[in-house]
Order: sequence, then structure tokens, then C-alpha cells
Amino acid sequence: MRRLIDCRGLACPQPVIQTKKAMSEEEQITTIVDNDAAVTNVSRMAGKEGFAVDVEEREDGIYLDLTRIGAAPQTESTSYALAEGSTGPLVVLIPSDGMGRGDEELGSILIRSFLHTLNEVEPVPDTIVFLNAGVKLTVEGSLVLEDLQTLEGKGVEILACGTCLGHFALKDKIAVGQVSNMYSIAETLLGAGKVVAL
Amino acid sequence: MAESECSVFLFSSTSAAIRAEKLAMESDFKVKLIPVPRHLSSDCGVCLRCDSAEVDAIRSLLESSRVEWENVRRL
Repeated sequence: MRRLIDCRGLACPQPVIQTKKAMSEEEQITTIVDNDAAVTNVSRMAGKEGFAVDVEEREDGIYLDLTRIGAAPQTESTSYALAEGSTGPLVVLIPSDGMGRGDEELGSILIRSFLHTLNEVEPVPDTIVFLNAGVKLTVEGSLVLEDLQTLEGKGVEILACGTCLGHFALKDKIAVGQVSNMYSIAETLLGAGKVVAL
Repeated sequence: MAESECSVFLFSSTSAAIRAEKLAMESDFKVKLIPVPRHLSSDCGVCLRCDSAEVDAIRSLLESSRVEWENVRRL
């Protein structure tokens, strides 16, 4: 039986939450959404949970056919890694467009230096999460765009908080990485082997 | 811009580096403040990277605005 989950008209992160909930009970799910952000977020989560995603745009919505093709390795391997005391994903959390407190101009230079240097030192983070004013670093005109694009090219996942982009009216200006939601962000932080929070 | 075609201006203070960056950007030079590479050193931790072909133009811009720099090095 294929479970149908109608998420049309639902705001993020509801489509992700409802789809994930169904995954514990079903092997085949069709989630219907009505916006691109939901397609991206649900597809990403489904991939992590071991589901293949087939996207079909119809007149009345975007149909995501999800079929389990493997176990959900992410959660298991992460908790296993933590139990072993070894390393899970390395996550860098950037909650501001400056580094440190005291002088804004200096803070701005420091964060730019930091992100530039991430391309030259080891280890390369698995994910960088941008929150609050930090999302300003991921949009058009950002002075670190080139650095972030290089990092993304190396496989670093770049997540920008959608609520924050919305708050600063920058949602359509994002130029690197993906618009994310607190559900994914919380999972990324909690599932990390190590979080480096600026 | 390939790394080999880049030069950096080194400064003795962060504030001078910031002023230099502002001036250069206002004049549409392709510059970028980066940490001073490990093999170079200066009193200030950041330097201004630019296209080596534009070093002379930036040098006269800084001179005319009385921003002092320590050194210019090719990367």
C-alpha cells in the first residue's frame, strides 16, 4: 500500500515532519506539496532516510513518490559513532555575520578571514549552518560568496535558515547552499559528531 | 583570478587594511581581504589581495588617500 500524504498548503517544516512520521510505518509514500522548498527539503530528508525520490509535477501539485531502497543509515551510524566516541559529521554553526563581539567591522573581517581559511585548512567541515544574521553571508553581494561556493564545490553542505532569510527579506537572494528549516538544522546539530559554534 | 597572478598588500594595522579595502572597492578594483598567508608575515593579520596587474594602480590610489602599507608581495 502506498500512503498518500497531502501537504499542499502546509508551511515548512510540516511536509518534512509528516512525511518522516509516515516513514516509520510505510515503505512507499507519495507526498504532495505545492512549492519548491518543500520538494527540496522532503527529497533531502528522504535520501537520508534511505528512500528513492521520484518527482512528478502535475497540475494540482508536485507529487513526490518515495520508495524505500535501504535502511536509514544516517541515524544509526551517527548514534553508533557517538557511542564509540569517534567522529560523526563535523558541523560549523554560524549564527551571525560577524565573528566575536566588540567591534562590528572587525567581526566582519574575522568571519571573512575564517571562511576563506576553511578552504585552506583541514578538516573540511561536512556542513555549515547559517542562522540569524549569519544568512546574510549566503546571499547575493556577500563578500564570502566565492569562498562558500568553493566549499560547496568540495562537497560541504551549506544550510541557510529559511526563517532567517525571510526575516531579512533575503529569501530570493540566496546565492549558495540551500534554504533549510529548523527541523533539518536541529537534526544536523544533534546528529553531528562535533559542532563548532561561532 | 589564478593564485599565481595575485599580489597582496600588507599593512601594519587592521584599520589601514579596512580603509584600503573600502577605497579599492569604491574604485572597482577586484580585491579581497584575506588572512595573511602563513609564509608571509605582518603586524596585522589581514592583507588585501589583488590582481598583480592592478598593483600599481592600487598603490597610487592608496598613496593619494594617504593609507600606509608595509609591503606588497606576489603570492
